[in-house]
Amino acid sequence: MIDLTNLDFTWLPRFIIPLSWGLWTTVWLAVAAFLIAVPSGLILALGRVRGGWFVRWPILAFVDVVRFTPLLVQAVWIHFALPVLTGYSLSPNQSGLIALSLHVSAYICEIMRAGIVAIPKGQWEAARALGFRPWSIFRLVILPQVWPLVLPPLANTAVGTFKLTAILGIIAVTDLTRAANRINTFVFRPLEVYTVVALIYLAIGLLLAWGAATIERRYATPQRGRSAAATNLALNPAVEASRHGF
Amino acid sequence: MVFDPWIVLRFWPQLLDGARITLLAFGIALAIGIPIATIVCAGRLRGGGVLAGLSAGYVTVFRIIPEAVMIFWMFYCLPPLTGYAVSGLWSGSLALALISGAYLAEIFRAGIQSVDRGQWEAAKAMALPRWITWTRIIIPQAARFATPPFINFLTELLKGTTLLATIGVADLALRAYVLGSQTFRYLEFLTAIAIIYFVIIFPVARFAERIEHRLAAATR
Repeated sequence: MIDLTNLDFTWLPRFIIPLSWGLWTTVWLAVAAFLIAVPSGLILALGRVRGGWFVRWPILAFVDVVRFTPLLVQAVWIHFALPVLTGYSLSPNQSGLIALSLHVSAYICEIMRAGIVAIPKGQWEAARALGFRPWSIFRLVILPQVWPLVLPPLANTAVGTFKLTAILGIIAVTDLTRAANRINTFVFRPLEVYTVVALIYLAIGLLLAWGAATIERRYATPQRGRSAAATNLALNPAVEASRHGF
Repeated sequence: MVFDPWIVLRFWPQLLDGARITLLAFGIALAIGIPIATIVCAGRLRGGGVLAGLSAGYVTVFRIIPEAVMIFWMFYCLPPLTGYAVSGLWSGSLALALISGAYLAEIFRAGIQSVDRGQWEAAKAMALPRWITWTRIIIPQAARFATPPFINFLTELLKGTTLLATIGVADLALRAYVLGSQTFRYLEFLTAIAIIYFVIIFPVARFAERIEHRLAAATR
């Protein structure tokens, strides 16, 4: 058994630069993947709701395949199996970014779809009766009503995206987790190294979760004239609780 | 390069053994996670006090720290902390169990809080004992609300077991990766396990969605 008074943090200042690089990789991967996933998820959702069957079915297949297989398998597949098909090798960061953005955009597609479907049909019909063109209906009438509905689940997805980056170490993306592994092989102080890294993740995660909770409080109040489906989407904690993990 | 799906069948016993490890980790995580969740949920429902604060803190910490980090922490820190040689399978499953405890506690709590207040009041008006109120009135109704997210969580947990590959536990994902690197047939093996995970998770998740819709329709 280890003596807890013997904890040694003298390695920390020496390895502050690799740790910061790892943290930077984690942060930019999460931010980039999320920024790619929001518009692509929205486009996919629009295709699923308004497209013909030849648009709907491929999107449905993509979303289900991505949601119902683990990110780790997807990342490894993209990094090792995809080059066999395409002939191009990708760097770990490229593969990681592709895997993460695909994964998150599938989840965001589901959120956006629920948001779009929650807007009453009458809104589409009224806008058409007023002579709006289809794209204008979506951009000017539907989308402004969708945003407040989807913002709380989107904020939760942002927290989830940040957490998911830790998986990408498996394909040698040198994120914070992998930086910790490598530092540990130098100093062999696992308790100290992993506790420090876990605390860094916890601090950033708490900040993001606090932001998400603020958004949720701001937008989750049911408003007059909203359909029951919309209220359900915004207010069901049981549904949300299980949906941003692993 | 010729796509050769038959190579997967030749290494089938190894993949099957990996699936066994995956299921074992899944089972351990649930068997430890559900009791933890019950305790934490009971703590959170108390409303105030040290216990409620501790439970809320537990849920926050274990839901926010990434699963992979938690698994690494357990893998490297459990042996020096406890003094026992803990295997990768056990430390990894224990990490998943602690995380499951946090998620499931929230699912249970949401289920219990979805039960109408009137049910409590009616039970009180009929002078039913607390124990009977819980077991015969609240929990059966809460279970209905909690079932879809619970099943959803099971699929998430199955996906989460792949993270044990990062600490070298020979689960399904790691087996496929290693076999792929040994035979240079990444495409075949990785596609095969992607299909396996999909075939298991897809019907379960669809089933959860269906009963969720039925429940929403019934309670509206």
